[in-house]
Amino acid sequence: MPDALPGDAELIARSVDDPAEFAPLFDRHASAVHRYLGRRVGELADDLLSETFLIAFRRRAAYRPEHVEVRPWLLGIATNLVHGHRRTEQRRYRALARAAAEPDRPGDDPGDAADRLDAAALRGPLAAALAGLKPRDRDALLLLAWGQLGYEEIAAVLDVPVGTVRSRLHRARRLTRAALGDISPLDPISEEEDR
Amino acid sequence: MNDLTLLREAGPEAPPLSLAARSAARAALLDEIDGPGLRRRPRRRVVVRVGLATVTAAAAWTAAVVVAAPHPVGPPPGSVRLVDFHVPTFPLSLDPAPEGLRPAFDGNGDGASIAAYDDASGQDGFTIYVGDDAPEGTGHGDDGAPGYQELDVDGVSLGDDEVEVVTYERDWCVEDTDQGCVTERRRFAWLSWERHDDQWVSLLGHGEYADAEQLQEVAGSLVDRPQPATLDVGLAPEGWSIRAYKMGRVLTLANDAHEAQDLTVHIPLPEDVIPAGQVRESISGPIGPQLDVTVNGRPAQLVRVDIGYVVDGHRYEGWYLQAQFEDGTTFVLQAPEAFTKEQVLQMAEQVTYHP
Repeated sequence: MPDALPGDAELIARSVDDPAEFAPLFDRHASAVHRYLGRRVGELADDLLSETFLIAFRRRAAYRPEHVEVRPWLLGIATNLVHGHRRTEQRRYRALARAAAEPDRPGDDPGDAADRLDAAALRGPLAAALAGLKPRDRDALLLLAWGQLGYEEIAAVLDVPVGTVRSRLHRARRLTRAALGDISPLDPISEEEDR
Repeated sequence: MNDLTLLREAGPEAPPLSLAARSAARAALLDEIDGPGLRRRPRRRVVVRVGLATVTAAAAWTAAVVVAAPHPVGPPPGSVRLVDFHVPTFPLSLDPAPEGLRPAFDGNGDGASIAAYDDASGQDGFTIYVGDDAPEGTGHGDDGAPGYQELDVDGVSLGDDEVEVVTYERDWCVEDTDQGCVTERRRFAWLSWERHDDQWVSLLGHGEYADAEQLQEVAGSLVDRPQPATLDVGLAPEGWSIRAYKMGRVLTLANDAHEAQDLTVHIPLPEDVIPAGQVRESISGPIGPQLDVTVNGRPAQLVRVDIGYVVDGHRYEGWYLQAQFEDGTTFVLQAPEAFTKEQVLQMAEQVTYHP
């Protein structure tokens, strides 16, 4: 039996003395970080992916495993980088909203109205809703939805109290639901189902 | 449906992580790991090998890494047809041109939207942003940056328009260390106005240009005369388009039908140019000999490389060409195996660079 691969935190700890130990973290997490960034800023994700890992490497000595795990830590760095490109992010959402507002698919049976209330039908309004959120609220919401971080992890990577995360998420989700209006068959918000 | 589920299922999707982007990000990290003291030698790069449905992390960064291939990386060898192609331009020029400053353009397939004019030291200069929408805030988000402090707001005249110039300071990261950024206070000036209908132009000055009068002068010298891209290719595969160009010296094209298939032309910094005799040993995944070829009448080096994907038993390969322009400036063309050797050289002959 081969030895188990070292964990993320162990690799970071080792990399403080032996920087080469950091490289496998890229292979483990690059896809997830890029996907998170890509959903937020599109093609710019290519650049920000690189920046995320460079910053993480430079700050590896300051990483505290008891504070947050490595993947959330990386997503936090990525989120901070997105701050420098807020307009790119908003422009992307608006463009997606406009594109989704193009004429509906032809030939749908009127009786299939319920089926049209599927996720695809909500793409445009959802993108528009994201564009309208305050950046800090959007960070919290997207770390939860796309980063799949818990409330405590979001608080850790954004360096705010958990209560602040709750209020930001409440506001973001309320506004998102309001923007979707009557077209969304959303269930009530439930913190227990949030991951 | 929960709203989080909705965000996951109907929210914006991410573009695929291309092999080129992944490799570039990984190479940048490995350079950083090498350390600044080693960065000026020819790059030591890692072969990134890819197999299907197997994910593991290498025990050491020098070892091969196996990750899942997202999808096939394009049509087969010999499928490329090169056609005339030119990189879109930046829509504005400065008349008179600012003395001692040179532009570098950033943009995408729709054209350049950013022109950064800097002096040789990078201390003095300004950036021009062009877009359809009014920018929000000051300094492209600088009003949310650490240590942001507004210093002055001056009204200046631009033709019939009265426009505000905001001068501010912010913390600027001059060195990123293990303990975080070492910052200094840096001064900027910001000017933004709707120059034409649906054409918003913003200027961000630094150094000597962090000044209302200087920016007013720059704004007054803007004319509607497109500037050609500093790096152009002249030829490109039919059905491909620009994914991005950066800093006026990195250009990425992608196959519209197979986004994972792309090619990159870039001008390496002088310290990153690989000595002609060491190209093969300095690049990622060489699988063929270093071929001595000629581009622009000058010696060039061409190497067949393993680009890292194995899909359905097929190992995808590519080309790495280091060549020079007639003035001796080095450029690199990395192309997928869909190119023949002759097409790589044909395309390289048409690359131009006018910084």
